[in-house]
This record gives sequence, structure tokens and C-alpha cells, in this order.
Amino acid sequence: MGRRRRCRVGPEDATRALPEAIAALSRTLPVGPSPEIFRRAKFDCPEAAPALWRLLFRVLSPGPADGASASLSLEAQARWVKSALHSQGYPSRALAQLPDNGSQGSRQLLLALAWLLARGPLLEQLLAQGRVRLGDEMPVCECEALANPGPPAPGVEEVSGVDVRHLQWLMGKLRFRWRNLMASQQEQCALLGQIHLYTRGCHSNRSLGHLSVTETELLRDPEGGRQLLQRLESENARLEAALEWRRRQLVFWRWMDTVLGACPPEATFLPRIHEPGARALEPVARELHALREQLRGAVEARRAAGAAGAGDRRPEWSAARRALRQAVGQDLAALQRAWERGGGLTQPHGPHRLVRMEAGAPRGPGLRAPEVIEALRTQEAHLEAVLRRLQGQCRRELARLARALPGLIWIPPPGR
Amino acid sequence: MSIVTVQLGQCGNQIGFEVFDALFSDSHCPQGLCSKRENEAYQASCKERFFSEEENGVPIARAVLVDMEPKVINQTLSKAAHSGRWKYDQHSCFCQKQGSGNNWAYGYSVHGPRHKESIMDLIQKEVEKCDSLSGFFIIMSMAGGTGSGLGAFVTQNLQDQYSNSLKMNQIIWPYGTGEVIVQNYNSILTLSHLYRSSDALLVHENDAIHKICAKLMNIKQISFRDINQVLAHQLGSVFQPTYSGEGSWHYRRNPLGIDWQVRPPLSGLPTLSKMSTNKEFHFNTSIANLVILRGKDVHSADVGAFKDPALYTSWLEPVHAFSVWKTQRAFSKYEKSAALVSNSQFLVKPLDVTVGKAWNMFASKAYIHQYTKFGIEEEDFLDSFTLLEQVIASYCNL
Repeated sequence: MGRRRRCRVGPEDATRALPEAIAALSRTLPVGPSPEIFRRAKFDCPEAAPALWRLLFRVLSPGPADGASASLSLEAQARWVKSALHSQGYPSRALAQLPDNGSQGSRQLLLALAWLLARGPLLEQLLAQGRVRLGDEMPVCECEALANPGPPAPGVEEVSGVDVRHLQWLMGKLRFRWRNLMASQQEQCALLGQIHLYTRGCHSNRSLGHLSVTETELLRDPEGGRQLLQRLESENARLEAALEWRRRQLVFWRWMDTVLGACPPEATFLPRIHEPGARALEPVARELHALREQLRGAVEARRAAGAAGAGDRRPEWSAARRALRQAVGQDLAALQRAWERGGGLTQPHGPHRLVRMEAGAPRGPGLRAPEVIEALRTQEAHLEAVLRRLQGQCRRELARLARALPGLIWIPPPGR
Repeated sequence: MSIVTVQLGQCGNQIGFEVFDALFSDSHCPQGLCSKRENEAYQASCKERFFSEEENGVPIARAVLVDMEPKVINQTLSKAAHSGRWKYDQHSCFCQKQGSGNNWAYGYSVHGPRHKESIMDLIQKEVEKCDSLSGFFIIMSMAGGTGSGLGAFVTQNLQDQYSNSLKMNQIIWPYGTGEVIVQNYNSILTLSHLYRSSDALLVHENDAIHKICAKLMNIKQISFRDINQVLAHQLGSVFQPTYSGEGSWHYRRNPLGIDWQVRPPLSGLPTLSKMSTNKEFHFNTSIANLVILRGKDVHSADVGAFKDPALYTSWLEPVHAFSVWKTQRAFSKYEKSAALVSNSQFLVKPLDVTVGKAWNMFASKAYIHQYTKFGIEEEDFLDSFTLLEQVIASYCNL
């Protein structure tokens, strides 16, 4: 299916438009199923279900696909997809009731996919995830990782009773791995610094000035260069498919309406959305507006009543009110700061390319390392304060429990 | 990934020398029983770990030598330089003029704080020479004066300053019939302090090594040098590079070390799952075992016997508790060699005996004034006893 310029839409073009639209969608998605699968899904054919389960799993998992999550059984993937959709607020109960073995429900899965596509910039996110990165990149925030915990590691099962020593052992193991990670990261930083230093002046882009690891490897190893070229070409193909999808998607949405029509009616499903976004939300918006007006009216009435009845005590009242307003303002500001994980970073989140600059060089676009370090230190201090507070709570709770049992000697562990 | 070694006191410095010597001799051993390429990789890895490069090509051990007397350090420095094959950095030494008279408290409360900056500076310089720091290896005796008190202090400071690095302490368990009368006090104080700041304690008992020298090696007049060389051989066979499951040449440590604590079960709550009581009499239960195989036929070696669940605690599967590291490259001209590092109940009995003796002395307050004079109060002793009793109880309950 290549791109073709259409001068006019003829009758046979109309019948081809839908499969081509779906094909474009499929090429944009990772592990996209064929248009035939989509067609079968409309009629709820069971053989289309596994491919759609796998697609949803891939689409909903954060980060690039790795061997561990790909090796999860279909059943585990299906279970995870259900919980992920639920946590994203997917309204249909029918999907939650599908069997775990992944053998049924292709129509429901198709609807879920359409819901995800309509809801947000899903394709853009997927394309951004799979981008070929030429520079040495480093994340400056944890937003992505925190917002979307990935699928469970394979082999993790529910155990009824766990020996607390096993937990302690796991904690020790975790701490050990953490420290190994720190040591490796420090080594990586040192080596990156050396590479950036040695390749100064080699880059054609003056604002970057030096090569990244990928670019250095490109120069040293022609085979690597060929592979990089292949990856870039396949990324290009996906981007072109995405553009084609953008042009053709109307046909797809009209078809999705028919899919929705083919479903048995269900009380918990939201009303049909003809176009992503617009008309169905209007009554809701109107209601919201009406409520807001009511609230405003009520507040005004209250204020008038309060002011009228407190005439003689006005000076103290206004002072008290000012103090109160100040306190509330401070609380809100503190709350906002606590919620703002960036601690003041105004630049966009996500990974940034590392560029080593000379001391006196003019400042380019992007973040500077000292600013990022400062922001991270603020976050660290905040998290440490929270940790200490929680530890204190825990200790007090344990002490309270110990006091409740007479004849018990409480030996706290030696401090670490 | 490099390791910085800190050699403390007479014991630490003498053993440290033997260890570096054993490592160096092995890595330059011509008959490796493996391909040339393999041998070169092995050499390079050992070198990066333990030695740094100097202009004229003589490798310098990544070590800091600390002692309160100059005699042993000077001997160690000259022995190394004399061999011409490797040496210590002259500047990485710290010593004073007087000793500490086997007084733990003096080493911990006086020498430590007084010389903390100089010692930590020397360590910092060694760390900066490393491309990437894997961790610290601290060699000390448990019951002497300088090595033990100062060693505990230094380990604590390493924990504070390099909290993300791993620390392993090699401690020498003194002879049961040792000469130092307060050695049991020193032992319990050392152990309890190290327990809190170290990640792993690797214990060698003088008595055990003495037996090896006498029975297995048939040495008539066993000197400290013999003991140290056996020790160094054992350590070398553990520390030299191996392939682990996840990739080559990691410096691996037993993560289950001694920083594992269990509180006595609260009354009224159900006790932990029962274990057959006769197990403790028949088997030495382990938390973890590590087998290191070197030389010919390592790939066909059968380690199935180590995977028997009866050897391990009930709450840990053998697959988690047991690991094997292998390399075809032979160690120190031995065609085949094997080493076992075990975190098990093996040490419970000696520990119990030591704690018991220390407690008996403490009950009559014998020699306590030597410690309280320098800031180690009776509470510190009590804390140490409590901690070690907990450790003994935890291990007994495995």
C-alpha cells in the first residue's frame, strides 16, 4: 500500500479507503495487526482476539518492549491489559468480564483500542517512545516512570504467607543491586565524559561540538552504521504511515460507529462519540456552567449576609480574615510546591541529550546541568523529609504496639 | 571496577602484602590452562581491580596502609619494592610513632578521631585514581589494639563518606588461647561496630588455618608467614576474575552478609513456620553459599550436591541461595581448584564462646577501666552484647 495522490474519489476508491486507512494505522502501531484482523474483530471473531490482546499490551506498556515483558504468556498479558485499561478509566464492564485466556472479545478489544486512540495522542506517544536516538541521553525527571508502572515481572506469583526474613533478604538484595547500579552509572558518566572530551570539534553541527557514543560507533564500525540506517529507515516508514493515517482517519471513525452499533446495548457505556472530542460533551459543559453560576450566586449571598451581620466587629474580623487568607495561601503554595515534582524546572520533561560545552561558550537552548542538579537536590531533600517523617510515624506506631503488650522488651535495631 | 584495600595494623598489613603478592603471581602465571586471549583478559581484569599503572610500568597496589607503628609498614613497603614486580605507593601510608597497646578504646576514640582526616584523605586519593570504584576491602584483626579499634572507626567513616560503595571487612579471628587478655572484649566491640557499618564480614580463624598448615600442608614450624600465605591463597582464589551468570568480571559480593537482623518474635503472634529441630544438629544450615571453580573441566563439574534444600533455610530456595562462579583459567598453577564462601551457622559456635567469655569478664568488671578511660562506657558494652546475642539467635533460628 503506497501513498497515492487522489484527484477525485471514485466508487472503488471508497471501498479501498477503509482498508488503506486501517493499514496505515497498523503500520504506525508497533505490532500492528493486519486489516483483516480488524474486520474480523468487528464481527467478534475469536481468532482475532489474541492479536488484539497483544497489541493492547504493547500499546499500554510504558517504555520500549523488552524480552521480559514480551515473554509473558497471553493470559498474563490479558490480565495486565484489563487492569491497565481499568486504571486509565475505561468505562466498559464487558471487557473486564472477558476470559483471561485471551480467546474472545475481539470486538471489545477493538473498541478499547479506538477509545485509547480517541482519548489522547496515543500514536504520537508511541512514536516518541520508539524514536531512534543519536545522542547520549539522560532523563531529567521521573514523571513517565512514576505515572505508569509497567507489567509485572514474569514469574511473580501471589504467595499466601511470607517469612519476614525472606523480605529482609529481598531488601538486602535490592540494596545491593542499587549500589551496583550507582557504581555502574558513575563509571558510565566518567566514560561518557572522556568520549565527549576526545571527540571535540568532530561534529558537523557546531552547536553540539562533539560526538555521542552512537555517532562515534557509527564512524568506527560500518556494520553498525548500516544497522542504524535500517532503524532510521523503518522509523521513517512509521512516520509516513502516521501522516497517511492522519489524512484517512475519518473513514476509520465512521466505521467504528458501525462497530459500536453492532454491539449489544450496555448500560455502562458512554454515549457514542462521532468525532474525537466535540459534540457529546456539550450538555456536560452546559451543566457545569450552570452549577458554577449557582455556586457563585450562593457565595455572594453568603458574603453579603456575613458582612451585614458583622458590622460592629469589622476591624478584628478583617484582620483575622487576612491572617487566615495568608495562612491558606501559604498552605496552598506549599501544596503546589509539593505536587510540582519539577521543583521549578520550566523546560519540558523527558530525556535530554548530553552536550559538553566549553567554559566560556555562549549558552545554547536547553537545560544547564547546574540547574538540573539543583532541581534534583530540591526533590531529594523533599523526599528525604517525607521519608524521615514516615519512618518516625512507623517507629511511633511500633512503640505504641509494643507498649500494648505487657512483659515485652522492645529492642530497636542498631541504627543504619 | 576497582577495589581499594585498606590494610590496618600489623595483622592487616602483613596479610595485605601476601594477598597482593598472591594475586599478582597468579595473574602473571604462565600456565593458565586457557587460550592466550583468555589469559590476557584475566590479567587485565585483575590488574584493573587491584593495581594501578605507573609510568615505568611497575604496577602499584591500590592500597592504603595504616598502622600506629612504623616498623611493620616499612617492612611491608620494602618487601614489595624489593620483589621488583609490583609495589605500594610510598605516599599511601599512614603511621605514627607509638602503638596503642592493644587498647581498643584508644584506637577507636583517640587515634581514630585524631587521624581521621589524614587517613580519609589518603583513601580519597586512592579512590580518585580509580576509573570506577567497586568498593572497599578492609583487612584487620578483630582482637588486637590498633587494627580492631581503628578499623572499626575507619569502616564507620567509610560508611558515612562513601555510603553508596560496598565495604567488605576481612577479619582475623584470634586463636582461642590467645595472648591478649582482653581479646574477647576487643572482639565483641569490633564485631558489633562492624556489623552496623560494613556490608560483609569475611572471617578467617587463626585456629582453622593453623590446622590446615599442620595437617594438610605438614608444616612443622608454623609461622605467621605460613598462615598468612594460606589465607592469601584462599582470598586470591575468591577474588580473581570469574564469569558469573550475568556477565564477566564483576566484583561480586555475598549480598546476604551480616546486615541481616531478626527481632525476637512478639509474644502472642504465631511463631514462624516450624523447622525440624534435629536439623541443627545434623546440618549446618546456610543462608547462602558460593562456590568458585577454577581450572580444567569446570564446565562439566557437578555442583548438584550444593543445591540440596536441606542445606538451606526454609524461607530461601536453593536457586536463590546458591551461586557458582567459574573460569577455565587455572589459579596459581593448580590444575583444578575450588573455593567455598559460606554464610552459615558455621561461625555460631566460636562467636558464642567468645561472647560467653567476654560476658564472664564483664560480669566481674575486669579491665573495664581501660576502656572507660577512653570513652567506651558500659552501655557500649551492653549494646554490643545485645547485638551479638541477636545475631547468634538469628543464626540459630535458621
